[in-house]
Amino acid sequence: MNTPFLQVSGLSKAYNGIPALSGVSIDIEPGELHALMGENGAGKSTLIKCLSGVVRPDGGEVRVNGVAVSLGDIRASETAGIVALHQESTAFAHLNAIDNIFVGREPRIGPGLLDRPRMRREAQALLDRLGEKIDLDRPLEELSLAQRQMVGIARALSHKSGLLIMDEPTASLSARETETLFRIIRQLQSEGVAILYVSHRMEEVFALSSRVTILRDGKLVDTRPIADVSRDELVKLMVGRELLAEESRESTVTLGEVMLDVRGLTRPGVFQDISLSVRAGEIVGLAGLVGAGRSEVAASIFGVDRPASGAVSIAGKPLPAGSIPKSIGCGLALVPEDRQHQGLVLPLTVGTNLLLTVLGSPSMGALRSSDKENKVVADLMRDLSVKAAGPGIAANTLSGGNQQKLALGKWLAAAPRVLILDEPTRGVDVGAKADVYRIIRQLAKDGMATLLISSDLPELLTLSDRILVMSQGRIRGELTRAEATEEKILALALHTENSSVKVVA
Amino acid sequence: MTTQAISNPAPGFGATLSRLSRQREYGVLALLLLTIFAVSLVNHSFLAGGNIRDILVSSVPAVIVACGLTLVIVMGEIDISMGALMGLLATVMGQLTTPAHANLPVAVGIIVTLLLGAGIGLINGLLVAYGRMPSIIVTLGMLTVLHGVNLTLINGHYITDLPAGLRFFGIGTFLGIPISLWVTAAVVILAILLVRQTPLGRRIYAAGSNPEAARLAGLPVRNLKVFVFMLTGLLVAVATVVSVPRLGVIESGIGQNFELVVVTCVVVGGTSISGGRGTIIGSVLAALLLGVISPMLIFLRLGESATYWDRAIQGAFILVAVLIDHVARSRRGTH
Repeated sequence: MNTPFLQVSGLSKAYNGIPALSGVSIDIEPGELHALMGENGAGKSTLIKCLSGVVRPDGGEVRVNGVAVSLGDIRASETAGIVALHQESTAFAHLNAIDNIFVGREPRIGPGLLDRPRMRREAQALLDRLGEKIDLDRPLEELSLAQRQMVGIARALSHKSGLLIMDEPTASLSARETETLFRIIRQLQSEGVAILYVSHRMEEVFALSSRVTILRDGKLVDTRPIADVSRDELVKLMVGRELLAEESRESTVTLGEVMLDVRGLTRPGVFQDISLSVRAGEIVGLAGLVGAGRSEVAASIFGVDRPASGAVSIAGKPLPAGSIPKSIGCGLALVPEDRQHQGLVLPLTVGTNLLLTVLGSPSMGALRSSDKENKVVADLMRDLSVKAAGPGIAANTLSGGNQQKLALGKWLAAAPRVLILDEPTRGVDVGAKADVYRIIRQLAKDGMATLLISSDLPELLTLSDRILVMSQGRIRGELTRAEATEEKILALALHTENSSVKVVA
Repeated sequence: MTTQAISNPAPGFGATLSRLSRQREYGVLALLLLTIFAVSLVNHSFLAGGNIRDILVSSVPAVIVACGLTLVIVMGEIDISMGALMGLLATVMGQLTTPAHANLPVAVGIIVTLLLGAGIGLINGLLVAYGRMPSIIVTLGMLTVLHGVNLTLINGHYITDLPAGLRFFGIGTFLGIPISLWVTAAVVILAILLVRQTPLGRRIYAAGSNPEAARLAGLPVRNLKVFVFMLTGLLVAVATVVSVPRLGVIESGIGQNFELVVVTCVVVGGTSISGGRGTIIGSVLAALLLGVISPMLIFLRLGESATYWDRAIQGAFILVAVLIDHVARSRRGTH
């Protein structure tokens, strides 16, 4: 075997004491397309960030052609030839293609002037090599997403990179644009550029890669030649963990009327034809990978965004689209994913946060009454077992778990009939998690219709009566409590429209 | 398959607004020429050489400082301490050079003024970039401090008897053109060169366009911020040196509301308050446009109250400019 281009050994990184990457080692050959797979939170992003120098790993070593690379330094990684095309938009929308390609390493005449003619010439040459016609003088915001990505690749190539890291590069591309990208990837490979390719799309991984590395919970599971592994095996390796013994709730819950009914909800380009219903007392899980469109569906149901078409009704009554106050008035509540920004007013007190949704409601009267308010707050804090010194302290002094209980409790004060929970236990410690589960179950028992969005598969399996799985903006399947397993959910979540990707190996 | 049609933005109202906000220079230039033309129809003496020169000279401080503030706003920050800084620098420059005070050589006075201006800008920049405080708060605090120090130094007096060497910067000419206009032209040309032809300029725009991407590209975003604040402080000092001596008297009111004038120039000139977009030439043209307004009101003989309309018109310009920017941006976001 040749010497690998890249040798990573024992790379580790923890955030706030929580390990995101522990002792990961990978070798990548020159010209190899190496796929990197894993569930959400498996550590793929952290690995990419460590390799590209965006974050400094706590331990481990990265060698390029046998020479150790200084870690935690973007410039050092680039100089060594490791360049990442990050998933989030890393382009400068206001600048043109030339500036985007060269910013940070501009060719110069003398000490401080740009060598404009050379920049234009080299930018043109790089884009020609990619076979793309791009107007060099237009700001990037006027180009298509695919064209912007080409500019990003051209920027990477201008580093004479030996390893290009691509994070879900096809996520926002059309089928034709994807084909163009694949053509470019093969061309780069033939020129000896290695590619570390992160994707959830099985078709792509099987068509393009020669080897695949699987991460799980921040640890290396295995690296295998793609020829030696099947789709099902791959899913199993990704899920891996011993399936948690289901401490399922009593399935004897009697379900009531349909409380939330969604028909044909569509926002073009975001999600299509979403239909679902949730009955009183039922917990319906909504599974899918990040970017599948789950949170966007929730936002449209709740009236944060206005869907292009489709209807929502609450307890049989149609809900006017696009109005949060009307949604709340009809008995709908949403506990958003980002509790710090969307769920709580952190500098305000615990008591005030709990009262946010009911201030001004008929039950509280027109004028504020501290007696009434104190009672509501005291009841809620007890029911939720919020661990706080008292209702008068600021919400931002609480732990993540207790903040989440507040975000939940805020809605309980409004006594909703339908509750949409978006990642209710993300970043919450185990103890608080149990409290949140208990509250969700208690609410269901009392007749709440709950739509539970979660990327935590054991959580979905534990709490849900039924699980709907989304991928690429569509519901791909429904699993009953009895038939749902992590493998089945993941297989549906990884589903892509076969027509959308035609791969010629 | 190797080529792909470059998608043009959909034509129509949104695209028009979009273009208008992106190429605001032309709009401002058209408005400037239109105003001059219209006023000169009513009153021919408006176009007299002396009048044009007076308008240009009175626009000098705004034009010079707008070159710096444009870059501050391109980086998504703001500086409102410029007026108070100019007031303090005028006092310091006067007290250092006049016979009644320190009586130092003019060159020393000017060098200290320039260093002090850049130094105050540096402090603003460090507090914003490394102290991670909002620039509006930092420069509001700085404004108050500088104003307070200025009042203490000047202590209710006037500084007169400015030495001839200093007066020269205000009233002297070279080849028949005021020194202040030569300096202004040099500042504008250097600023345009900085923005268009140097890596530093391009990096400032990149960091303003997408700070996170700039960080991922290895740009020293915080140092770029410190630089633009420092440059603005330095340019306030330059503006002070070439404009204050023209008056012959230095008092505590110098620089009052100056920051508002400069912010107006930059925003009206098409610099986006959300960062990443804006041109030096747009700000300069807007400064000239604003400089024309108050003489215009006088030349139109609208009576005594006319001059009061000056500020109202400036304010209206800001609101319209921001509105165009905002509407254009939200249109762009939808396609």
